[in-house]
Amino acid sequence: MGAYVARRLLLAAVAIFGVLVITFFLSHVVPGDPVAAILGPQAPEDVIEALRHRWGLDRPIPEQFLLYLGRLARGDFGQSLATHRPVLQDLKEFFPATVELATASILVGVAAGLTVGILSAVSRGSWLDHLVRFVSLIGLSMPVFWLGLIALLIFYYGLGWLPGPGQIDVYLLRPPWVTGLITVDALIAGDFEVFRNALRHLVLPSIVLGSHAMVGIARITRASMLEVLGQEYIKTARAKGLPERIVILRHALKNALLPIITVIGIYYGSLLEGAVLTETVFAWPGLGRYATSAILSQDFAAIMGVTILIALIFSLANLTVDLAYAFLNPKIRYE
Amino acid sequence: MKRSRYVLVILVTLALLVTGWVPHVNGQVAKTLLVLGRLISDAVSLDPAQAFEFTSVWVDKQVYDTLVDFSKDFTRAVPMLARSWTVSPDGRTYTFRLRSGVKFHSGNPVDAAAVEFSIRRVFRLKLTPSFIVTSFIEKPEDVVAVGRDQVRITFNQPMPETMMASVLGNPVTAIVDPAVVQKNATPDDPLANKWLSSNDAGSGPFILRSWRRNVRIDLEAFPDYWRGRPKLNRIILLEMPEPTTQLLALQRGDIDAAMSLLPRQYRELAGQKDIVVKSSPTFSLRYLAMNVGYEPFSKVQVRNAVKWAIDYDAIKRIWEDAIDPGQTIVPARMFGHLPDRPYRKNVERARSLMREAGYERGFKAELLTVPDPPLPDVAAKIKEDLAAIGIEVEVKQLRSADLLGIYRAQKHQMVIARWGADYPDPDNLAKAFADYDMRQLAYRNQWDHPVKQLVKQAVGELDRKKREEVYKRIQKIVLDEGPYVVFAYPLRQIALRANVKGLEPSPLYETYDLFEVWKE
Repeated sequence: MGAYVARRLLLAAVAIFGVLVITFFLSHVVPGDPVAAILGPQAPEDVIEALRHRWGLDRPIPEQFLLYLGRLARGDFGQSLATHRPVLQDLKEFFPATVELATASILVGVAAGLTVGILSAVSRGSWLDHLVRFVSLIGLSMPVFWLGLIALLIFYYGLGWLPGPGQIDVYLLRPPWVTGLITVDALIAGDFEVFRNALRHLVLPSIVLGSHAMVGIARITRASMLEVLGQEYIKTARAKGLPERIVILRHALKNALLPIITVIGIYYGSLLEGAVLTETVFAWPGLGRYATSAILSQDFAAIMGVTILIALIFSLANLTVDLAYAFLNPKIRYE
Repeated sequence: MKRSRYVLVILVTLALLVTGWVPHVNGQVAKTLLVLGRLISDAVSLDPAQAFEFTSVWVDKQVYDTLVDFSKDFTRAVPMLARSWTVSPDGRTYTFRLRSGVKFHSGNPVDAAAVEFSIRRVFRLKLTPSFIVTSFIEKPEDVVAVGRDQVRITFNQPMPETMMASVLGNPVTAIVDPAVVQKNATPDDPLANKWLSSNDAGSGPFILRSWRRNVRIDLEAFPDYWRGRPKLNRIILLEMPEPTTQLLALQRGDIDAAMSLLPRQYRELAGQKDIVVKSSPTFSLRYLAMNVGYEPFSKVQVRNAVKWAIDYDAIKRIWEDAIDPGQTIVPARMFGHLPDRPYRKNVERARSLMREAGYERGFKAELLTVPDPPLPDVAAKIKEDLAAIGIEVEVKQLRSADLLGIYRAQKHQMVIARWGADYPDPDNLAKAFADYDMRQLAYRNQWDHPVKQLVKQAVGELDRKKREEVYKRIQKIVLDEGPYVVFAYPLRQIALRANVKGLEPSPLYETYDLFEVWKE
């Protein structure tokens, strides 16, 4: 098992380095001038030149890359051209909001997706199954941006059941920064009003963002369950007279779980990249919007920082999925 | 019956989810708190010597004071930290007498040394907005403290009063607290630029309490402000990038003002109960530029043919009325504005100009624009209008950074762009559009015209009447011969809860200062 993990980690490191090289060169060869982008149309020429020089953008690209690697080795992600702050500091500030939203969303997605998928498989061909398939089709094809606005319109503006944009109400004070996750920080500070408020602020965006994951998970659960339910050992279990609940949850679901876990891992990974549109609609200060503005303003250091972070997340998500496989299916462990 | 049990579980869960939450009570922010929904992610630095984005300049306007300010109609300079001033006969040297008893937020007194320090600091840092100072004051030593309460500033040219205010009323020359700056200086950063980027060393009506990037900015009233305590206790600027979200929050009463809605949304809001929409023309303009370095546009007849071919009314409709029509380079409401609007769609006239220039068979041209709505639609309309006179336009949409790179390098043929005044004086626009030597728009479009001599002469003209005349002549020449089609001056709109009083959009900054704003 140890050797298995070590091999996976090594592969992940190679993959991250590859991503690093490709992103660096791609972001530097596309046309456009980040300095002009940041300073705007009215900045005088000499100011632009001075800044290009100060940021080393007037040097050859391979030289810039080596300098970058050197700094990275020392743990320095560089300074964002747009925010004028260390990229690491920016990431620390924007990533927690994304983690909070992504985690809530994947919980929504898994809970709802599994339930719906199992129900639909068990009652295949019934009205419930058709309804689920119809809703998932709509869910998959509905733009999340639009869904977010509709959700706000109904539950925030119309009914007033749930709070609107932002992580907490404006008049509340954010608890002291410990983990960066508002809900956790509020608990640490013992501030239950903020905790409750932050949870309620999470409801709409996590349902909206989790809906895609939910549909994906429901579909794969249904398919995988249907396959397993046709197996001989399920018939045997039923023939033994086991209660249907035991047959479904213990015999069928456990065996159907492998592909589902892969999907969950991938969804969680991609949710952690930050969801630009959901973050925009709900004024959520996450990684997605930071990454987008970095790309639009050709903020090299920030683009690289975000890329490394995302590559890390994906490698970790894949690793976790692989380990979960090994745990669930001993055959993989011994290969 | 197992199935129905599952269905029941789902229904109960859903019901709990929905009804378990008591309805969210919101609306009606407290009376002394003002919450503004807008975009704040443009802000890079709040150091007055560096701030050059909408949000940061606006915040500095609340947190810092300048020596002078503009009157609300932007025609006169009014005293701020300077109680009064005298001008030397040649109009180059101003001596300011400071108000006494004014304090910084730190409690330190605002004195002549602080003024000298602050303006010299702009020279030493040499950041983006520094050109507003360095274009008119030659060297740091030209700003001198005389005793405790007088400052003498020598300009590099005669300065009419509004020009003086353009420099010394601009937030870049805001007075910072030298003691606070020195306390936060480091060997790498002796002027504490980094610290001041997100902290406060001002004497303005509001204190900067905190700034969480891309999230919110919190300001708090400065009780010892020299004009008296502000009526609001707190101001919160909230980042709300999606206009519809902003609109819903305004209607719910969770925010007091929405500052970045779409034109359509402002129109829908106008006339709604509890909401007031205010608008003001801005000191900025939307224009189409033609590069004179591209052979066909070197002929003035071709440039004017383009001006006669465009359907200005249709373009105004595309912009959804969020613009104030006008064709001259000095925006309406600014001193010296020439209200002439000679051009309207006249295809015959445009065709005959094309013939005169020897282009009766037309030519091809590339038109650059950024993909921000409604610019692609404007570009499509221009393409259609110019096709009628034989100019075959190919529209190319580029990211703003790429477009700027091409524009600066003079490699474009036509471009749709926007220019905003850095200070509320016609000099700023005249230099950009008509003085080739300034390396701004006239340079980018390779239009080196003798009108530049007039521009150089106008700025130092001390006689107000004569100065106005010169700017009108400059505008006429640019209108008749220049490589620009000016469409309009965009409006600035804000939507407020009806109980917010005294908040007005300003042509120059997004709003005037919030010192006198209050809630009913």
